[in-house]
Amino acid sequence: MSRPKPQAAPSRRDFFSRIADGLHGAALASILGADLFQGAPLRASEGGGQVFDLSPKPTHFPAKAKAVIHLFMNGGPSQVDLFDPKPALEKFAGDIPSRDLTTDVSSPEQLGGLLPAPYKFRKHGQCGMDVADVMPHFAQHVDDVALVRSMYGEHFNHEPALFLIHTGRTIASRPSLGAWVAYGLGSENQNLPAYVVLDDPKGLPINGISNWQSAYLPPVYQGTRFRSEGPPVLNLESRPEWPTPLAEAERRLLAKLDAGHLAARPHQPNLEGRISSYELAARMQLAAGDALDVSAESERTREAYGLNDPLTASYGKRCLMARRLVERGVRFVQLYIESQIWDAHSELEKSLAYSCGKTDKPVSALLTDLKQRGLLDSTLVVWGGEFGRLPLAQAADNADRAGRDHGPSGFSVWMAGGGVKGGTIYGSTDELGHKAVENRVSVHDFHATILHQLGMNHRDLFIERHGLKERLTDQFPARVVEEILA
Amino acid sequence: MPPRLLAPLLLAGAVALAAAPASTPTFETDVAPLFERKCTVCHGASMTQGKLDLRTKAALLAGGKSGPGVVVGNSSASLLLDKVVSGTMPPGDDHLSSDEIDLLRLWIDKGAPDNQAELAGGTGAAEGPLTEHEILPIIQIRCVACHGKRKQEAGLDLRTVAGRLQGGKSGPAIIPGDPDGSLMIQKIVSGEMPPPELQLKYSVRPMTEVELNKVRRWIAEGAMEGPPREKLAVDLENDPLVQDEDRQFWSFLPPKRPSVPKVRDQKPVRNPVDAFLLARLEAKNLSYSAEAEKVALMRRAYLDLIGMPPTPKEVSEYLRDTRADAYDRLVDRLLDSPHYGERWARHWLDLAGHSDSEGFGQHDRPRTFAWRYRDYVVRSLNTDKPYNQFLMEQIAGDELAEYDGQEPTQKLIDRLAATGFLRTAADPTDAPERGFIAERMNIIADEVQILTSSVMGLTVGCARCHDHKYDPIPQRDYYRFSAILQTSYDPYDWLPPGDRELKVALAEETRAAREVNEPLREEVSRLETDLAREEEPYRERLLEERLEALPSAVRNDLRKLSKTPQAERDEVQQYLAREFRETLEISSAELAKRYPDLKAVADPIQKAIAAAKRDMKEEPHVRVLVDTGGDPSPAYLLKRGDPLNPGEIVDPGTPSVIKVGLEPYQVEKPWPGANSSGRRLALARWLTQPNHPLTARVLVNQLWMRHFGRGIVASPSNFGRSGMAPSHPELLDWLATEFVASGWSIKKMHRLIMTSAAYRQTSHADEATLAADPDNILLTRMPLRRMDAEEIYDSVLRVSGRLDPALFGPPSELEVKDNKEVVAKPTGKGYRRSLYVTQRAQTPLTLLEAFDLPKMTPNCIERGSSTVSTQALQMLNGSDVWQHSRYMAGRIIDEVGVDAGEQVDALFLRAFSRKPTAQEKQDSLEGLEEFARLWPARLEKDQESAPTVWTARWLALASLCHTVLNSAEFSFID
Repeated sequence: MSRPKPQAAPSRRDFFSRIADGLHGAALASILGADLFQGAPLRASEGGGQVFDLSPKPTHFPAKAKAVIHLFMNGGPSQVDLFDPKPALEKFAGDIPSRDLTTDVSSPEQLGGLLPAPYKFRKHGQCGMDVADVMPHFAQHVDDVALVRSMYGEHFNHEPALFLIHTGRTIASRPSLGAWVAYGLGSENQNLPAYVVLDDPKGLPINGISNWQSAYLPPVYQGTRFRSEGPPVLNLESRPEWPTPLAEAERRLLAKLDAGHLAARPHQPNLEGRISSYELAARMQLAAGDALDVSAESERTREAYGLNDPLTASYGKRCLMARRLVERGVRFVQLYIESQIWDAHSELEKSLAYSCGKTDKPVSALLTDLKQRGLLDSTLVVWGGEFGRLPLAQAADNADRAGRDHGPSGFSVWMAGGGVKGGTIYGSTDELGHKAVENRVSVHDFHATILHQLGMNHRDLFIERHGLKERLTDQFPARVVEEILA
Repeated sequence: MPPRLLAPLLLAGAVALAAAPASTPTFETDVAPLFERKCTVCHGASMTQGKLDLRTKAALLAGGKSGPGVVVGNSSASLLLDKVVSGTMPPGDDHLSSDEIDLLRLWIDKGAPDNQAELAGGTGAAEGPLTEHEILPIIQIRCVACHGKRKQEAGLDLRTVAGRLQGGKSGPAIIPGDPDGSLMIQKIVSGEMPPPELQLKYSVRPMTEVELNKVRRWIAEGAMEGPPREKLAVDLENDPLVQDEDRQFWSFLPPKRPSVPKVRDQKPVRNPVDAFLLARLEAKNLSYSAEAEKVALMRRAYLDLIGMPPTPKEVSEYLRDTRADAYDRLVDRLLDSPHYGERWARHWLDLAGHSDSEGFGQHDRPRTFAWRYRDYVVRSLNTDKPYNQFLMEQIAGDELAEYDGQEPTQKLIDRLAATGFLRTAADPTDAPERGFIAERMNIIADEVQILTSSVMGLTVGCARCHDHKYDPIPQRDYYRFSAILQTSYDPYDWLPPGDRELKVALAEETRAAREVNEPLREEVSRLETDLAREEEPYRERLLEERLEALPSAVRNDLRKLSKTPQAERDEVQQYLAREFRETLEISSAELAKRYPDLKAVADPIQKAIAAAKRDMKEEPHVRVLVDTGGDPSPAYLLKRGDPLNPGEIVDPGTPSVIKVGLEPYQVEKPWPGANSSGRRLALARWLTQPNHPLTARVLVNQLWMRHFGRGIVASPSNFGRSGMAPSHPELLDWLATEFVASGWSIKKMHRLIMTSAAYRQTSHADEATLAADPDNILLTRMPLRRMDAEEIYDSVLRVSGRLDPALFGPPSELEVKDNKEVVAKPTGKGYRRSLYVTQRAQTPLTLLEAFDLPKMTPNCIERGSSTVSTQALQMLNGSDVWQHSRYMAGRIIDEVGVDAGEQVDALFLRAFSRKPTAQEKQDSLEGLEEFARLWPARLEKDQESAPTVWTARWLALASLCHTVLNSAEFSFID
């Protein structure tokens, strides 16, 4: 059983003693001290009195990584153009391959022949990993990276594929990976949520907030959106139309009314929890604001993340925020990018130049920064999308504008830090880069591996529901990809 | 660039290189020798490690301790592959080579044939001619979407022998004895069928090689009809899977009415409920806590029954009522309130998993008329419709009487809308790429889960893939139950959600829609004519350009053709129209793209057309589940839950374990000549038998849980062995039998529970009581509880005077603010209760979401109640609570004027149903003064035109209202 034994709800006295402990610490974290998000724990609906909170939980075995930064690449980055060179695409350019390549595509009527990669591949690092020239910054990190070239999914459409990569099922309403991690491990920082989502200010990704849902896990584990522009949490700040000290004044009166109410009702942990949640809400304003305030960073850092360049500024800011959050003990940070930036159905070359241009430098800066600060060892960075792309052209009006349709049968993802073996290339696709054939890695394997690095066995991380043990990997066979681990 | 079409052979070869052997391997010739070399030492004759035997295909499929070794057709989901690829097996250094692994992968993906005979279409083991019933599942999955019940493309219906022999336009589909001469085989082999361009549209995939060979063999053997594939016979008297001792578990036996226990101290007993509870308490030398204060009890009753606190007027009237039965009368009044049905409809809609959208993907298709089901529930509860009838209508409203061609009355609409109960699962199949058999089966599975968890208190989901581990529910019974729904949700003849609607509406609804739509339709047609006129010259120009590329001989014909209306074309012209479709078809978009001058004119017209269409009202209809009639597709037990792996045919049926004392599940035509199978009607009848062991128990347990915060069975959706045992089994049975005896009246149950002394207790807990009954299982006190999401939302509206109390009808629309806060739009008479606000998974009302509004997965049996600081942020800083506070302050000033003391009194009465204490009044007055000092500076800065001092006083009172609405007392119920 993954979870510690049910505990009694904390009393107000326990609660204040925890704040007091915090005060012995140093700097801001200790002033903020206590638990913002924990509040009074949720009562489990079944099983009577199990407590669900964000306090740190024991791992199943010693963890390699304490935190995960999931750089989710919406739209399906093209493996054959970035990580998985296939000379056959040059050689047979324009040819139509056998029929099984053309089933399971979303727009069969637009399929063309084999399409060569627009950018050249070059070998990099000690390990000699192939990286396309369109990702020059990433190429410098290959010796820290384990590349998996043999991922495969189950569906060629964005919605089901996104559900799969996030929740392990192609259907809606299952808890996402980050929620499972928060449920299994709690958080190291009780002033911030355990699972933070940094979505693109330009709009929600496909499937919207369902991507970070907790579904049947208690809501305390769902991803909290921190916005990278404006106040990070919805309604974190007082009403703009108020006179400045009004919120303070209201809070003082509220405290008096509530204290009287509570005094007449002893032994009511619900009520105690509720009052502390109000007291603590005020403090989150500081903690969240501080965590996301990139203005405190040096000019050099800001430059490295690309904050001074309009192309990279938005994603760079979120990468930098991710580091600041992980630094503060947030367990799982998930970055999204412009609804489907990698969905290169047309104008492949241009499209790749844009998506790489926007992300390559910031991602590279994040890896460098984490390493310099000694955080990379304990932070698992995961890069990948919901599927890859077909080696075939998706014909537009003319060949120059061709792109690629979705390809779920074989694609590449990479991981760095958090105990993965740098310089590894694992698995392969067929000659055309269409299907993963060797050392295939399923989405369930991918999930099991991430949980493993966090010190959890995917079989032992479960919640009882309707008398069943529900797991992220469900009943699917899943294996930790040991070969990419140090 | 048109791709070169003739190069594929070359590349097919290149791909094949990666995939190793070209011919399909079989177990006998390829896999068994491999296992013998590497595996059977441990998984064979001398030992079977992990209970896995690899000597036969059957044993491999059966698998071992870790489950089945192979998922036929899906190597990546097969444990065997997982083990050998990862190198976990065989242990030691002698791993399988990549060729060997490829062999296994290919074998599994090609359908895991046992031997050449099976590959060629045999059954593998038991030989003998194939019958139709071996073939039918293949045809069901691959063909009947277009050649079946609803659609007979080319006049062909492949479901029956007669249909196949008769064939379609091109002749018989099969010639018995001659597979290669049979059109069906020819078209499949050539790749013509299923048509590649339509596979996605109809969510169909081509046959696998094993399937195709099976069909061939069957035709070669004469395409025999019978004897039918053996149906899975269930002999309840002699059943190896479910035996009589399994049926002895308490929840599978009908409730027996216990006698009311005698208690030593009769004083606290107000009704039999108390006798049962006190008997347990006395055994531990405990008793109830004191009765709650009059107003506390009143407020509790209001929130429990109508979900909102009383008005000051209601409070004072109640306090003046000094009759002995004043409280009982209060409960009666509340049960008569129309708001009662709204509040309890919310509970029922949780169980049903109700939502105003399909719940899938970005577009999250709206269920425009889902509110009819919601209204049906509200009306049913308000009229105290007997629960058995309530269930009958929701499970089989369409099968209770003929609906086709009937006068559209509210009654008819309600009876049909009731079946919305079984239409709540998230349904992605409006898009064909999400409409394959697996998705269809998921929807049926969700509906099964909703039905069983809400109404039957059973968890059957695990039996979808294997026999239930804890409860005597074999997989067979899961699919028998699922078959009940499959004449309405036919997985082989699927209807997307938009086709599950009946155009039934009240005359005034139809008229209202017509009044809006007809002028718009006229406008659209006028605009379209304009557009066509503008496009005409360009259309001709483009056609001429295209004709240039064609031989001159056809040009004239095509020109003429393009001018001939469709209906007047002769046979040759029709042929040409098909052949030269690409030349002849010219879309408006294409024209606009090509000719900028046209675009400048056409765009505004297009915009006007789009706007007019947007303004049109959706045709009023009822969202229903109806039996699709005719001959139903067979239902199968799906091996390991895999829709592509159908096993035996199953007949519809209810769980075999629930049988004692019941009339069996019996399917009959609902009425003579009905075009409806009667399967759901039979279920409804079976479930509503007075002595059904689960129906009444599960419902009274739900009612109990929502009054006391915890069910007598604390796992309300699991009355089985893995569920929680009842805390008061005799009370549960007494309530269940009382419920049925009272005519299944839900209101009588409320009255019984709420007039018990147990319910009237205070929630104050002293040390001794806490120590003796820490989790309150014995009910030594009432639990203090936080309002749920809707109670908070609705209560804020009511106390601030902003509630639009209108009942029923389409829900209020949502507004997403710049900061992404989601709020409801007002109606002009205020704001409607949360029940009447559009509910969509992607955009929940922010205030509700903060307070644990559940995600329907696929329904919600019991809500969680968390206390987190995001709730405080939403209440303190969100836009709606502040807005309503300002409104509330305005109404208080209207009512009592400017005296601050009277304002504070009025506020407390509205929000807390009581006057402030001296201390509270002093604190509030001080607060009010402080607020009033803060506002003027802000008002001056904003250059408000309203008088500063007066406005500041009003906003100061608004700030006080805001503080009070944020207080713990407001949202906690004593």
